[in-house]
Amino acid sequence: MPVKYVLKLYVTGATPRSQAALKNIKKILDVDFKGIYSLRVIDVIKNPKLAEDDKILATPTLIKILPPPVARIIGDLLDREKVLLGLDLVAMG
Amino acid sequence: MQNRTKKGAVEKVLTGIRGLDEALDGGVPKGRSTLITGGTGTGKTVILNEFLYQGITQFKENGVYVAFEESKKDIIKNVKGFGWNYASFIAQKKLAFVDAGALRGMTFESGQNYDLIPLIERMNYALKKVKAKRLVIDGLDNLFSRFRNKDAVRQALYQITAELKDLGVTVLMTEEKLGSDNGLSRYGVEEFVADGVVEIELVKGQQQFLRRMFAVKFRGTGFRSGIIEFEINDQGLLVYPKIPVENVVAKTDFKVRKSFGIKGLDDMLGGGIPQGHMVLVSGNTGTGKTMFGMQFLKQGMRDGENAVFVALEEPVEQVKKTALAHGWDFNRDEKEGKVNFVTTNLLDISNDKLLYQVISAVERIQAKRVVVDSISTLLSATMSEEQVRQFLLQLSRYFKAKGVTCIMNCLSSASFGAARGQLLSSLSTNEMRLSSITDGIIMLLFVERGQKIKKLLTVLKMRGSQHSKEIFSYEIEKGGIKMGDKYEE
Repeated sequence: MPVKYVLKLYVTGATPRSQAALKNIKKILDVDFKGIYSLRVIDVIKNPKLAEDDKILATPTLIKILPPPVARIIGDLLDREKVLLGLDLVAMG
Repeated sequence: MQNRTKKGAVEKVLTGIRGLDEALDGGVPKGRSTLITGGTGTGKTVILNEFLYQGITQFKENGVYVAFEESKKDIIKNVKGFGWNYASFIAQKKLAFVDAGALRGMTFESGQNYDLIPLIERMNYALKKVKAKRLVIDGLDNLFSRFRNKDAVRQALYQITAELKDLGVTVLMTEEKLGSDNGLSRYGVEEFVADGVVEIELVKGQQQFLRRMFAVKFRGTGFRSGIIEFEINDQGLLVYPKIPVENVVAKTDFKVRKSFGIKGLDDMLGGGIPQGHMVLVSGNTGTGKTMFGMQFLKQGMRDGENAVFVALEEPVEQVKKTALAHGWDFNRDEKEGKVNFVTTNLLDISNDKLLYQVISAVERIQAKRVVVDSISTLLSATMSEEQVRQFLLQLSRYFKAKGVTCIMNCLSSASFGAARGQLLSSLSTNEMRLSSITDGIIMLLFVERGQKIKKLLTVLKMRGSQHSKEIFSYEIEKGGIKMGDKYEE
């Protein structure tokens, strides 16, 4: 199946907060979007330039690049409903 | 022991903005943060931009712009109006942006478990890229309103200011002040991260808005108190600092007299006006006040003293034309650097600006004689009598320190047709209120006697010296004032 959802997750190093956000988003994606998403994890400490280009101010920030429109959600991404709604992701099935 | 006051004192860095450094007594605290607060359109952003621009061009200090308010693109476009080419600064690695204006697309929050470390990292990245010594943050309030977790914002701000302090980077930041705000800042942190606070405001004048600023606090450093007026023109900011009044040594001298070159009048004054004195020449329209002033300056130039004419009553060209008709070529004198003319728009005169103009004109040619034509125009064109008093007080302190002798013309109403024995009843309240500033008063009057109008002159007051108490008649003739006989009823 082709990749339909392109996402980036901005984190700060390996802090518990970053780890939690990564774990939470993976859980959502692996349940509802398995095989049709790509997620790139970017550490702002190693890549401040990417953070500048994407105008990131807070971590964790999840950005949905595709499909448009671009949307961002910040926080620990624990609330599944909020993440789906905020990113306008339509769960399959 | 003798260094006690200096020890631990905060070092300052020049902003390079005309007038502001004097007003802030040497600039802003080096390696510290200064907050500029004010309402919309007061000119906060212009101050930030000029701080960066002057840093890069005058002091070879590179800068970082953290933009929460507007986008980088808009800012680059805006400063082109001042002739500043930010794009080339960026290409030369003299300027870097942290572009944090409003984003396209939606941003949601899922919980409040986040931090603002990317902002700090981006800032550090930009600082390193250009090796910045200056950093500005435009729109702190924007940062607060964008995040629900105010603690995260506060924490980030504390961390940023601490890091910048360590790096020795000097910071200016702005925050919008709402009309309803009581305190200095809205989120209760800005004052703690800022070592200095400058508030700016727009005040409605008669015809236009006037810009004012005042330093609210500067931790550990001095600044001039009081309201400072400033302008924004096509070159950026122009601040009119008040003149410090301390350490003024009076250079007044009763023995040195400045003559008018008008025979008879000089005798009445005991040779002329004492050096460093401010003398009011008061009279109705047509009594020749401006003429007395011109002759006073002309005589000064003959005596090798440069002069300044402050033309508020009529356009400079008109003054010159009148003078030429009497054989005085002010145009030539101006070209030879003997005289400077000062003028300003006659509505909403900014006293601070006028003061600055007069003093620059005096300093430029080391003038020793000044004519202000007239105080009455100042009074009618300024917002308050108190401001005019302040202006004259400052002017007089400065003139006395420099030994500059000054004539102030004043339109006096109701001095026409005075009856017998009432010659002096016409001194108006304005002149009375100015009397503490004036060292002398020369009064010009009209009287109607025997179907004729006579012009009369008397010296009403001459502080600390003898003068004639008589009343003399005079005429305005081609070539100047001609004193006549003693007037007797």
